[in-house]
Amino acid sequence: MTQHQDQNIKSRPMTGPLEGIPLPDLDRLPDYERGFWEGSHNRELRIQKCCGCNTFRHLPTPMCPSCHSLEYKWSKVSGRGVVYSFVVVRNPVHPAIREREQVPYNISLIELEEQEGLRVCSNVLNIAPEDIYVDMPVQVTFMPTTDEPNVVLPLFVPSDWSPTA
Amino acid sequence: MAVTTTSADINGIRDKASIVGIGETEFSFDSGRSELQLASEAIKAACDDAGISPHQIDGLVRYEMDNNQETMLIQSLGIENLRHWESVSYGGGAGNAVVGHAAAAIAAGYCNYVVCFRAANLRSQMRLGQARNPQRIAGGQQTFAAPFGSMAPVHQFSMFVRRYMHMYGATSEHFGWVAVTLREHASRNPRALRRDPITLDDHQNSRMVVDPLHLLDICQENDGAVAIVMTTPDRARDLRYAETLTLVEAAAQGSGPQNEGVIYRPDISVAESTNTARDLWARARLGPSDIDALMFYDHFTPFCLLNLEAYGFVPFGEAKDFVEGGQNIRFDGTLPINTHGGNHSEAYIHGLTHTQEAVRLIRGASTAQPPNKTIDRVLSCSSVAQLSAAVIIRRG
Repeated sequence: MTQHQDQNIKSRPMTGPLEGIPLPDLDRLPDYERGFWEGSHNRELRIQKCCGCNTFRHLPTPMCPSCHSLEYKWSKVSGRGVVYSFVVVRNPVHPAIREREQVPYNISLIELEEQEGLRVCSNVLNIAPEDIYVDMPVQVTFMPTTDEPNVVLPLFVPSDWSPTA
Repeated sequence: MAVTTTSADINGIRDKASIVGIGETEFSFDSGRSELQLASEAIKAACDDAGISPHQIDGLVRYEMDNNQETMLIQSLGIENLRHWESVSYGGGAGNAVVGHAAAAIAAGYCNYVVCFRAANLRSQMRLGQARNPQRIAGGQQTFAAPFGSMAPVHQFSMFVRRYMHMYGATSEHFGWVAVTLREHASRNPRALRRDPITLDDHQNSRMVVDPLHLLDICQENDGAVAIVMTTPDRARDLRYAETLTLVEAAAQGSGPQNEGVIYRPDISVAESTNTARDLWARARLGPSDIDALMFYDHFTPFCLLNLEAYGFVPFGEAKDFVEGGQNIRFDGTLPINTHGGNHSEAYIHGLTHTQEAVRLIRGASTAQPPNKTIDRVLSCSSVAQLSAAVIIRRG
């Protein structure tokens, strides 16, 4: 079988946030989403946690989908997780990605260690996309976007922590 | 959490609606005319196929995403009294759902001749595959995806595919066999936009768009319109296809849990259509062995594998073996998939071409009609990773 790419040639790692693409409008976010971004701004990964049943949830919602409590808090998590799934975008569909030659980049779904199925969408930095794998341990890091320095993204880097069963 | 299934075996539409006409415009990359004209042409063609006048239409079931409003079509088609109208949301998730809704409207007696249609310049006007997010997002799931570059459907759907490959050992070559087979079907179909046969090497050498998806895993974007007309079986017996009635036997819709944001639900290597499948089989009182051909919404080739599993045609994880080599899913195989070529190679009209092809198969009129086999029942289903819908179309 002909291979599409030479397996020995690796793409450059991502080193920071993508540029020129949509960002949250911090002034217009609903209350139940704001805590996530306030957490990042303070260099903490904060996940919405129900006060009624103590369950984490992401995406944020006004009501707990388990016990239907409207009471929640923003709980700092360790920032450790594993790659649950990931993709490598090679064809740009956004003008800023195309014009600023930002492909390839990875989009990774990180499962956090605190709760099974608790996942956040992010990018994994400092690693060639060809080297990312499912179940790879990662650790959160925070970087402001160049377009809107008040918007800080939780991004991830490879880590040597070991998930325990 | 327990899921209520008590109503799943009630089937109020069973055989109460008959698809009597199908019609379409040509499919193209630039239709050169308005979406209202495309809709009008396709609906007129479907009425001609049935042998009724557009004046007789008194029900419309449209895709919410379609730009053609009911009032525009009343004006354009000369509808005398629109007794029933509704629209179904969620893009391709409305595929097959519109058919179930139309059948229910006929079964309820809300209208006599109902039309489902989808008309769109999805290439020359709004391309769904392009990012079209605003510069700043004021909340919702996009807020937690777009800043990381997840901006188009392919970005989310490929996330499912990677996990599926990881769980079951499926490879890009397995998806390639779906692509090769769909293209072979399209090569026999003069309506199809892409008719040049491809090989597995062509698939593997096609450009990587979003790894793990190659260009030849992804459906095309095009212009065109499709319409179908439904009425009661009694009226159908006075119309053109009285000899071979095409009946809607059962329909179902369903969701997966934690739908908003798709990629956050419990196991993304399983299609969300397992709930829909369970209800459909219960309502129809049928199972996979009763089905002669499959119309799978093939926005991305791997979803044919996921749905073979979700609907129980093969155990979870075994679809890769079933599609390998393509023999099983070819038009002359044990379980033909998308004999028209699908979204992949015929045309992408949000799943309504699949219903149309199901009708052709029942009539024996497909350009890739399975030889030596009568097609009595076709399953057509749409699966867009959040909401899904399915119908079983049978020979009356």
